[in-house]
Amino acid sequence: MSLQEGRDIDADGLTTQDLTINMGPQHPSTHGVLRVELVSDGEIIKAAYPHLGYLHRCFEKHAENLDYIAVVPFCDRMDYVASMNMELGFCLAIERLLEVEVPDRANAIRVMVLELNRIASHLLAYGTYGLDIGGFTPFLYAFRDREKVLSMFEELCGARLLYNYVRPGGVARDVNDSLLKKVEDFCDYFKGQLDELDRLLSGNAIFVNRTANVGVISQDLALSYGFSGPNLRGSGFNWDLRKEHPYCGYEKYHFDVCIAEAELGQVGDCWNRYKVRVKEMYQSLIIIRQALQKIAKFDDGIKGGISKTIKPKGEVYVSTECPRGELGFHLVADGSKKPYRLKVNSPCFNAISCLDEVAAGTMLADVVAIIGSLDIVLGEVDR
Amino acid sequence: MKKRSAFSQYFFNIYIAIKTVSIGMGITLRAFLKTWGLRKKSAGYDYGSGPVTISYPEEKDDLPLHSRNRLFNHVEGCISCNQCAVICPVDCISIESRKKNEDENPDAKTPERFKSKPLKLQLLRFDIDEGLCCFCGLCTEVCPTECLVHTPEFEYSKYDRDQLKYDYINFKDNNPV
Repeated sequence: MSLQEGRDIDADGLTTQDLTINMGPQHPSTHGVLRVELVSDGEIIKAAYPHLGYLHRCFEKHAENLDYIAVVPFCDRMDYVASMNMELGFCLAIERLLEVEVPDRANAIRVMVLELNRIASHLLAYGTYGLDIGGFTPFLYAFRDREKVLSMFEELCGARLLYNYVRPGGVARDVNDSLLKKVEDFCDYFKGQLDELDRLLSGNAIFVNRTANVGVISQDLALSYGFSGPNLRGSGFNWDLRKEHPYCGYEKYHFDVCIAEAELGQVGDCWNRYKVRVKEMYQSLIIIRQALQKIAKFDDGIKGGISKTIKPKGEVYVSTECPRGELGFHLVADGSKKPYRLKVNSPCFNAISCLDEVAAGTMLADVVAIIGSLDIVLGEVDR
Repeated sequence: MKKRSAFSQYFFNIYIAIKTVSIGMGITLRAFLKTWGLRKKSAGYDYGSGPVTISYPEEKDDLPLHSRNRLFNHVEGCISCNQCAVICPVDCISIESRKKNEDENPDAKTPERFKSKPLKLQLLRFDIDEGLCCFCGLCTEVCPTECLVHTPEFEYSKYDRDQLKYDYINFKDNNPV
């Protein structure tokens, strides 16, 4: 923006001028390497343009040069906070092309790890959102409990963050009884912790004042920008892919879809989006308990009938409900060992494109609250 | 929200401040008391009691045996099948082998466990560049003799990137601790 454009004359006859400032790319509250170009009039934001591409790693092009099985570890690195959910979409795409039946036990294990990973991801969102608003304690408490999930994953598949656990046709390793016991213990333990975490932020007057009625995204705006996941449900729209297009046998699980209501402010404000995530963690616990029963019931192996060299043919779009929304894989396969083309539809990209419309007219400090409430991971936006 | 007079709003604000702080501090105090007196206990899975952090260099976490950290190849079991190098997504394994000739090279004797099915290839070079490795674990899964494994050893930082290239044939001193 040139200097002349933003010039204005205020009531006292003084010339004022808009100030363009860059927030990021190395800013703690942008959750990664996001640069937001802010045009500000005093402390009021006139426009906020997100600039992307600082974490672009050519995932889609790189996948064309790799065997199908070798693409899975790179899927992990898109949204490194919810790796299990990332792998699943790609594996489902291959399974749908090859028409492979996944064993019930593998499906139940998948659901268990997906929901555990959802809890870990939402805990990170919860903790860092508290940090953005100015509370340090929730961050430490969230990481204390997230650590328990990560230790369980380490015991399950050997890695703490980039699991490479969900594979085409099933999962990589079987679970043992001692791990299932730990998951059950975790469910009992975490229910109480979640009540405590909820009380710590939801009842806090400063947190409520900073988030309620701030960054309101109406249902129409959310739909027009293609929102999905907790951000869309935070605007009061009932949409959950686990219910609408079930995968991994989600249709057999009983759980509620958490939709925001006008509690402390308008529907669709930052507080609603935060609260939906907290409520979803309760629902995840319910799903994990059901998955544990299913794992104990089924004993039909963990790998479906899939050949060692994967050579699918055809075109498919598979979308799954990730902690951040609908992650879609559009896979075009030409019958060779490598994908012909792979396109990923990222929920965070849609969420961050809305920033200009929401942030315009708010205060500078509210931009941080809005970005935090959208819960973006830049690894997934840029891929 | 109810409309209050300025006078009652003043006291209401004080009430809110005290209530908010007491909720937060109450939770903090409870978390503090839970760990009080249990500081000597090791961290881990004892939910709700004991410290949650470990003082790292002195005290180390017990990693599971199959945790995916540094790669290690037991070369005496390697049959030079090249499967690990093919599947590696980042090409960090390089293998060289030649047709076996036992008379020429007495070192290349067939190990005891392969006596029934003698090796046809002699392994000349098995290098892993740990600086490239992405710890996906695909190579250890395809290994037919299970000689290539991930070890729980994670402390192998080096000052030079070249030192992360492990040569498993020529240097025997790079065993995992």
